[in-house]
Amino acid sequence: MGYELRDHTADVAVAATGDSLANVFAAVANGLAAASCDEIADAGDRFSLAVTAENREALLFDYLDELIYLRDVRAALPVDHRVDSIETPSAASGGADEWQLAASARGVPLSEIDAREVKAVTYSEMRLERVGTDGDDGGWEAYVVFDV
Amino acid sequence: MTTFDADGITLERVREYVWEIPQDGDMRVPARVLASEALLEEIKEDKTLEQIKNTTHLPGITNYAICMPDGHQGYGFPVGGVGALDAENGCISPGAVGYDINCGVRMMRTNLTYDEVRGHEEELVDSLFANVPSGLGGGGIVEAGVDTVDEILARGVDWALENGHAVEDDLLHCEDEGMREGAEPEKVSQKAKDRGKNQIGSLGSGNHFLEVQRVTDVFDADVGEAYGLEEDRIVVLIHCGSRGLGHQTCNDYLRKIEQQHQGLLDQLPDKELAAAPAGSQLAEDYYGAMNAAINFAWVNRQLIMHRTRQVFERVFDRSWEEMEMELLYDVAHNIAKKETHTVGADGEERELYVHRKGATRAFPAGHPEVPSAYRDVGQPVIIPGSMGAGSYVLRGGENSMDLTFGSTAHGAGRLMSRTQAKDEFWGGDVQQDLADQQEIHVKAQSGATIAEEAPGVYKDVDEVVRVSDELGIGDRVARTFPVCNIKG
Repeated sequence: MGYELRDHTADVAVAATGDSLANVFAAVANGLAAASCDEIADAGDRFSLAVTAENREALLFDYLDELIYLRDVRAALPVDHRVDSIETPSAASGGADEWQLAASARGVPLSEIDAREVKAVTYSEMRLERVGTDGDDGGWEAYVVFDV
Repeated sequence: MTTFDADGITLERVREYVWEIPQDGDMRVPARVLASEALLEEIKEDKTLEQIKNTTHLPGITNYAICMPDGHQGYGFPVGGVGALDAENGCISPGAVGYDINCGVRMMRTNLTYDEVRGHEEELVDSLFANVPSGLGGGGIVEAGVDTVDEILARGVDWALENGHAVEDDLLHCEDEGMREGAEPEKVSQKAKDRGKNQIGSLGSGNHFLEVQRVTDVFDADVGEAYGLEEDRIVVLIHCGSRGLGHQTCNDYLRKIEQQHQGLLDQLPDKELAAAPAGSQLAEDYYGAMNAAINFAWVNRQLIMHRTRQVFERVFDRSWEEMEMELLYDVAHNIAKKETHTVGADGEERELYVHRKGATRAFPAGHPEVPSAYRDVGQPVIIPGSMGAGSYVLRGGENSMDLTFGSTAHGAGRLMSRTQAKDEFWGGDVQQDLADQQEIHVKAQSGATIAEEAPGVYKDVDEVVRVSDELGIGDRVARTFPVCNIKG
């Protein structure tokens, strides 16, 4: 479980794996943090966020988009990501028709680090796939290109 | 017929520097690549050619999808791509404009000579770095509420003029006089405005920079004179865009297209090419929002330029007017504009959304949309090189309307990924080498940015410009060389 930064001519790509959908989402988010900053300081407080979207890929896209938005408006780089839950439409309480994600992260004040700007998450070449065929816990793989 | 085999994609030579990928399968038109064989060897190394082929699937694409000499892999549409999509029956694509709406370059000339600046480089680079916000979280020159953001989005540089950050003359030397018509601030989301309000007048990071340069060559004396460029004179180049406001606007509309126009999206080979059909409400909304973001980016570059004037005043102890620090021109290289072009053999005129992503408008002499100051010689085109190589000023070439919908290249074009660059270069070494060997003074928020932007990661800007000049889409006017460079 984890992430790797992959070569891309102008931008940066994150390849991530996780033993659950929640963990692969968090791993991609940690890859985004690593692409923004080489040495992440210990400072900053944890905060929560929630995202909803119409399907699984859109949920990943909106989660990463929200993290980039929060970075700019809070002036803090979100790191140490935890995705606490991902609920599918049918399982969501109250009969919600969208996917729901609840997550948290630690926001390192930008003033304390040399962070580079990742401009945006992209759909280009995005992959989010279940791996392994036997058993139900084969894990997940994701590949996301970010615009730098 | 001469062909060039690029690992599975065959290009046919149409004539010198013009290569064509013939129409095939679901391609609606052929794709063209404008390059020398040397540049093609580099272009074929990543997914540029696949991406320019994918672009030909967009509805309403007219004549060809075109890759400029500096083309490289982007997301969806390649960087260095030009796609003209029919404004009546085609579509408009936020992904083909790019995240950084109106990312662009402006150049300010001065009457200072290189000799007058020598000895002041350290002071100048330190003062610019201290006074021009850069990097992440560095704030902006103006701290504004959302009301101010709305005014900037609606009025562009006209807002800057009213608030003391510009002079009348600046507007006359900017495309659209610094105010894009049809801007609709209400089509820009609150999220985008919240990101933008703390970033008004800031460089950002990545490949964005501010550079003090000296003019080393003037190739065309007449046009050089019209542009006010003389050898040995100091100029300032500013490269940045619409910051978080533009990035958020692009993503907001990508998601709306996904939700409202899935049918069109299903026809496209890359989801990042997502487009809204011409005439749809969403196409109108995106165009209004993009025009507003264009204004935001112009104000961003204007504020940085005006702040630079103040820095020069302090360092050289005279007024900026005395130093004749005047805007030469401002060009956008991530933009879509509704333009009228002559297409087809019968000379039919058509309205097109001309998407230029990593490509620069390059209208020739006489074109009515070239500002009157330059109409007799052609529109200035500014091509930034890496921080160790020269930049160029071109003028819109005679053949640009026929070959490229009035466009040329936008820079050197990347060759090496950022991750590889950081393995191969160390920021401190690059910075020291530039100072020791070339007398270029660089200051950045992050050493990693210097490594990622090391001169060695870029293509040969001389070759890119040579091809543009030979094709007659953008003619060489002058070359500049860095003196001081600040970046995020």
